[in-house]
Amino acid sequence: MAAREKYDEAQVVEQLHDPKLCKVAFGKVIEHYSSQLYWQIRRLVIDHDDANDVLQNTFLKAWTSIDNFRGDAKLSTWLYKIAINESITFVNKKKVMNQLSIDDDDSFLVNQLESDEWFDGDQAQINLQKAIATLPEKQRLVFNLRYYDEMKYDEMSEILGTSEGALKASYHHAVKKIEQLLGETE
Amino acid sequence: MKHDDSTILNKYGKDSGFKVPENYFEDFNKKMAEMLPDVEITPVDIKPTMWQRIKPLAYMAAMFAGVWCMMSVFSHFTNPNDMSSVRAVAEKLEDNNSNVEEFIMSGSVSDYDIMSYEDSVMMSNEDVSLPDNQ
Repeated sequence: MAAREKYDEAQVVEQLHDPKLCKVAFGKVIEHYSSQLYWQIRRLVIDHDDANDVLQNTFLKAWTSIDNFRGDAKLSTWLYKIAINESITFVNKKKVMNQLSIDDDDSFLVNQLESDEWFDGDQAQINLQKAIATLPEKQRLVFNLRYYDEMKYDEMSEILGTSEGALKASYHHAVKKIEQLLGETE
Repeated sequence: MKHDDSTILNKYGKDSGFKVPENYFEDFNKKMAEMLPDVEITPVDIKPTMWQRIKPLAYMAAMFAGVWCMMSVFSHFTNPNDMSSVRAVAEKLEDNNSNVEEFIMSGSVSDYDIMSYEDSVMMSNEDVSLPDNQ
């Protein structure tokens, strides 16, 4: 197996604006970010096939608008923003298809989890996912980014466009709600 | 706030239970790279910041300044033509030595010597005051 080439973000960003090298450079971007973006998307859309579709859309959108990326922000921040927007759009479309209101929570996504081929968690993990899905959209995003990805608040602030203080408060409220919901389930 | 989530963490851990098919990411990366449509890319010169431009010059200047400082300090202590500072240090050391010698000498003066010195001083004072009384 060939050794994986070291990823140099500054070099890749430079190559993305070179018509001769941009496709190869974007291939490196896909290789570097596909896993972390996938898991963020998967926690929002829950189903593996849906996450796969949203991840494809994320990279396609990033690729077709690569000319707009000037390197002012970090590439990861830009990609996370696209991935989150794509995930939210997808979930809202699915709500409409399921004749639900946009304002309803996302707990309907978790209903099929027990029979999901690509989920092997126990009942406790299903309960946790159900509790997370009942959170308001912003709290759900903050909880996933902080709890699972251990993302720093300053980075999260750039992605979500919210102050660090507000994000800390959101996380605190999310944790308290989840604890309360899980306490009721037990 | 730091250990806010410790109750959930201790009970549920970080494994969400979600899985992916085997070699999913390798296959995805390959397929995704192949399906990228052709797009028009405008070549862009990403302008380096002012600091990025002057950084090599600043480092070089700092290096030369360091070398110059080292050279001047080194030559200051080793130049045989400029002995004034060395002489000044030697004189200072000699002064210190003479003070020490005086101190040692003072230890050899006995009480008797001191008393007889005081008597002689008193006597001379009396001699001086006599003409006033007359």
